[in-house]
Amino acid sequence: MLNFLTELWNRKPTEALLFSKQQVKATRMTDQFSEIAFRTELVGIVPKLRRFAYSLCGNRQDADDLVQGACEKALKNRDQFQDGGRMDSWMYRIVQNLWLDDRRRNKVRGTAIDPDDAYLSDEGKAANLPEDRMMLAQVRTAMAALPEGQRDVLALVAIEGLSYKEAAETLNVPVGTVMSRLSRARETLLPRLGLAEGRRQ
Amino acid sequence: MTHPSTITKEQLAAFADGELSPEEAAAIVMHLADHPDDQAYVDGVMAANLALARAFAAPLQEPIPDCIAAMLLPEAGRSAGTTANIVAFPKPNRTRLTFAAVVSAGLAVAATVAAVAIYPTLGPNLSVGPVAGNSALLKILSETASGEAVPFGPGRELTILASLPAKTGDCREFEVVSTGQRQIQIGLACQDGQGWVLDVLLAETMAADMVPSDTFAPASGEDIGALDLWLDRRGAGVVMTSSQEAERIAAGWAQP
Repeated sequence: MLNFLTELWNRKPTEALLFSKQQVKATRMTDQFSEIAFRTELVGIVPKLRRFAYSLCGNRQDADDLVQGACEKALKNRDQFQDGGRMDSWMYRIVQNLWLDDRRRNKVRGTAIDPDDAYLSDEGKAANLPEDRMMLAQVRTAMAALPEGQRDVLALVAIEGLSYKEAAETLNVPVGTVMSRLSRARETLLPRLGLAEGRRQ
Repeated sequence: MTHPSTITKEQLAAFADGELSPEEAAAIVMHLADHPDDQAYVDGVMAANLALARAFAAPLQEPIPDCIAAMLLPEAGRSAGTTANIVAFPKPNRTRLTFAAVVSAGLAVAATVAAVAIYPTLGPNLSVGPVAGNSALLKILSETASGEAVPFGPGRELTILASLPAKTGDCREFEVVSTGQRQIQIGLACQDGQGWVLDVLLAETMAADMVPSDTFAPASGEDIGALDLWLDRRGAGVVMTSSQEAERIAAGWAQP
């Protein structure tokens, strides 16, 4: 039966198949495996999605609500995800769209930074020394002050490690736009962190 | 003496972000030697990138919130308590079975296997997702050769079953046998560029008449097929030989 399962797994959805009774049963199992594989792959990137959402929202509760909403949307629109495609990019896009929708709906102009989130959210995991924690809190505050279009591109490149091309595809903007938004974001961010801006503008 | 710069800030940032070709990066390195302001800017961008990554890193070290895990893996809790008959897994140093062998194995145990529950499940110490930096699993994945059973908590042993190269990085299959709980888990961990990630964890409950020993029954076709799906998604190749695996362990699993 596994031969058939594997054949089915590799077969393009558009190819016609004639099913016997046993094959129909096998098809159901393949669908189940496919569903499990999809969900498991999604679970595997949840930590990165939570990090991305945290960098956008600035607080943990909103970030987790955002990720939960994005996962619900992904499960509903599972057919829109192409097998073999990059699920993380697909999910980053869903998270970013939901975040923008939420902000527009709530007409939120600033990001609510919970002091606990800013100063203690990592419970010392990322920063052991008090001054180190202060510095990371300063980073979170500076990030929250960036405009939406700069914050998401900076999060994808500097935090999530996407290339400019991948970030551009995720945000559906040209690579040049990614570069210019990054540049503007850093013009704002670096001075706030006490880092060198360079001589030229 | 420094000369007027023809390098833009975008190019400097692209260099700091690792976006340039080796040739372009070499030209920037030469340029920076004579332009301390630009060197300071590159240092600033790199420092900001590092600070941003650290400032929002907390979720990577935490378990997935229950509400999200329950939504994505609704069967996880149910499978943990399943009373399905045992389906033991191949012993150490197995190779990825041929389809014919798997089908034969499946037929061989068909009479004794009433039901097989294959669901991603979250074990007491293992969870799907990035493998924590200071975990016992990470140490075993990094250092242990296939076939060597390693104590993994009270009454549990973890054995790496096989190592396979894959498109995203190397993968390792393993099994955790819990004699006391009469449970066997098989898992697949793969490297994704940022470290080991546990892709899937499948749990089985031993049948009442099953005596844990080295005389396991062969795996059923469905079980092997289920794990192969994740291997296929990773683009996994042929199982490494012992010497190939030893080389990868010695290299710290760093990508060539």
